[in-house]
Amino acid sequence: MRKVSIVGIGHTIFGNLSDFDLVDVMAFASAEAMDDAGIRKNRKIIDQVIVANMGGGIINHQTGIASSLVSRLDLEPAMAELVENGPASGASAIKIGFACIASGMVDVVMVTGGELMRTVSGWKGTDFVSTLLHPEAEYNYGLTLPAFGGMFTRLYMERYGLTERELAMVAVKNHENAAKNPYAHVTIQCTREAIFDNPDVNTVNPYIAEPLRLYSTCPVSDGAVAVIMCAMNSPKMKYFKKKEPIVISGVGSATDTHCVHQRKDPLRLKAVQLSAERAYKMAGLSPKDISFAELHDAFLVLELAISEEIGFFKSGESKEAVAKGVTRINGSLPINTSGGLKAKGHPVGATGVSQVYELVKQLRGEAEKGRQVKNPKHGLAVNFGGFGNNVVTTICSKE
Amino acid sequence: MIVNEMEKRLRPPQIKLKPYPPKVVMLASGEKMVVREVKREETGVLLETIYPLIGVPKDFYDIVAARMYAEILGWYRYRVANEFVLVGVIDGVIAGIVNSRLMDEDVGISLHTLAVKRGLRIGAQLFASKMEHHLEILGQKEVLIVAESPIGFRRWMIEYSLENREDKYPKIQHELGGVPTHVLTKSLYDVIRDQKIGGQRPVGLQTLASADVLKAPEEYPQIPGFKRGKQ
Amino acid sequence: MIDFNIYKPKKKEVYAYKCPECGILDYPAPIICRKCGARRDPSGVYFSSWEKIPLKGKCKLLTWSRVYALPEGFLEKYLIFGIVEFENGLRASGRLLVDKPQIGMDLVAKVGLVREKVDEDVLGFMFDKED
Repeated sequence: MRKVSIVGIGHTIFGNLSDFDLVDVMAFASAEAMDDAGIRKNRKIIDQVIVANMGGGIINHQTGIASSLVSRLDLEPAMAELVENGPASGASAIKIGFACIASGMVDVVMVTGGELMRTVSGWKGTDFVSTLLHPEAEYNYGLTLPAFGGMFTRLYMERYGLTERELAMVAVKNHENAAKNPYAHVTIQCTREAIFDNPDVNTVNPYIAEPLRLYSTCPVSDGAVAVIMCAMNSPKMKYFKKKEPIVISGVGSATDTHCVHQRKDPLRLKAVQLSAERAYKMAGLSPKDISFAELHDAFLVLELAISEEIGFFKSGESKEAVAKGVTRINGSLPINTSGGLKAKGHPVGATGVSQVYELVKQLRGEAEKGRQVKNPKHGLAVNFGGFGNNVVTTICSKE
Repeated sequence: MIVNEMEKRLRPPQIKLKPYPPKVVMLASGEKMVVREVKREETGVLLETIYPLIGVPKDFYDIVAARMYAEILGWYRYRVANEFVLVGVIDGVIAGIVNSRLMDEDVGISLHTLAVKRGLRIGAQLFASKMEHHLEILGQKEVLIVAESPIGFRRWMIEYSLENREDKYPKIQHELGGVPTHVLTKSLYDVIRDQKIGGQRPVGLQTLASADVLKAPEEYPQIPGFKRGKQ
Repeated sequence: MIDFNIYKPKKKEVYAYKCPECGILDYPAPIICRKCGARRDPSGVYFSSWEKIPLKGKCKLLTWSRVYALPEGFLEKYLIFGIVEFENGLRASGRLLVDKPQIGMDLVAKVGLVREKVDEDVLGFMFDKED
């Protein structure tokens, strides 16, 4: 397999972009990535475009989005396809782009992930995300992803003694990081006193799916992110002198049962563990080599559970690490330096690409003041699809 | 002041309303919002706050701001019966305004809810305070409520499980456009009270003092590039 | 401070977009100019959102079809669609209002209601014979 590096990145603001067209928003991020790589005039060197999106057909009433994006950017006759893997679409698109280059089929791939979910009401948005569930055994009941988030959180709390107060600290950390991220959706810092110790906690931070509160779940966001990748030994690398290339050293993914109730131990996220194992193997690394990570915290408890499944901490012990400040920016293992899905936002198709964007930004040393990890060498991202039934792990390293 | 005979006839009779006891809520950002009733002398800063939003069609700000501007000006000029206005204040700056009026001792008519600062559920807190005033402090039996935007519909009709009286239209209608209405009764309010009504009383003297002089916001998230004073 | 245009009826025009750097027209609006690579930003915040030039006037019919199987929401028995080329070289698809179209015929571009969508009326091209 050839060595693949990321040579350009672009990101829109996450938030409410519903005045615009879905493909225009994706094209903006793509053009940003082209400018970052310095190839806007030479854009036709892009051989393959892969788009990550989940709701284009259901919410935005558009299909063939990858082909649409190519024309918006005058990239014909590049090859183009769409990848849909629920909330893991972004990382899956990067994985497939990686495979296209590593196999020798193409040299330059652009991956753009995007979503415009706020064009429809919150009702429709919740229903749209619920389409990930099993149609007969789960969706029909009115179950939603937050419902499973709530059930998972309750089980985790019972088994490991996690308290709402400890969970609130994760929210505070992520909000703190997002406040310094110019692309973040939620830049309001929240304090633990306000979201947990507050006598008005029931009105300020109400339950969404007990015991998950409003400030333990991610917002509904619009946005798009793009990355451009190139084979390190390709002659086309001569176009990419502008920025330091960051290598994709490992990629892995795995699936688990569709129905949450079919998992023997619902607290074990086997797909997370396996996808990380596969990525570590490809990279020749182990958990202690990782300098920082972006973990899919759509529900705050997932940041804790995922960090344990991928080998950062023992089961149930991640909350101690959070309390000690290990996962803060200046800690020994910063997690979600971008603000995570909780505060940076979660445009479903864009998230996986946004996580890799953050890995690249940190490894290049380009993160904003107060948000830069010291001397990172390897970064890891976990993109969690469905409720853990399809997970993709990506590891990026300095060259 | 002596009021002349013509003016007396143009003014509607007013029920004497109990004042709203101020309270303070800690919002998710850690900021403290004081919720209190406004004084007539503060009309100027209220209108100044509402006015720029009349030009924002997004999220129905234009119609809510235009109607609220008229209602508060009407209250100031003694041309509206039994109106009260509550304001949410953070560090002296107006974060949101709600207004309402009483039809008679038993029935209230909810008018408008305008949140200037966004992202902290301020509209929800202030709407709840409005209902608290109607049904607890003023001792009313029920409040007629309509929504002008889908956000309002979800936050009130659904979250409060309002009683639907749309089938009694047009005999029972809401004065905001003469449209079919929903109702919050005292019994529905009692069920939802603990979930919706926040705030701590009494307010500390220093905090209350910080909310004494109202200031209009310098910037509006709804109007990018707006800076007060540069019009 | 209030933009009263938002309350006035939308101008009955269909727009081509003009690149601010090389001046060429494109329809529909691109995000990168086909000729010079200049960027367009629909929000107008980071780059220009490009000047809008109404596409109108004489055009030639390139091809057409009378379509009987129409999508949901269209109640007509059939609609005639065609692709035309304007004098400035730009091409467009749209409805034809002529009964007996012929390839190569001269038409003129009018703008009318082409579709009713939820909460909006959509205006588009209706190509007709010159009166």
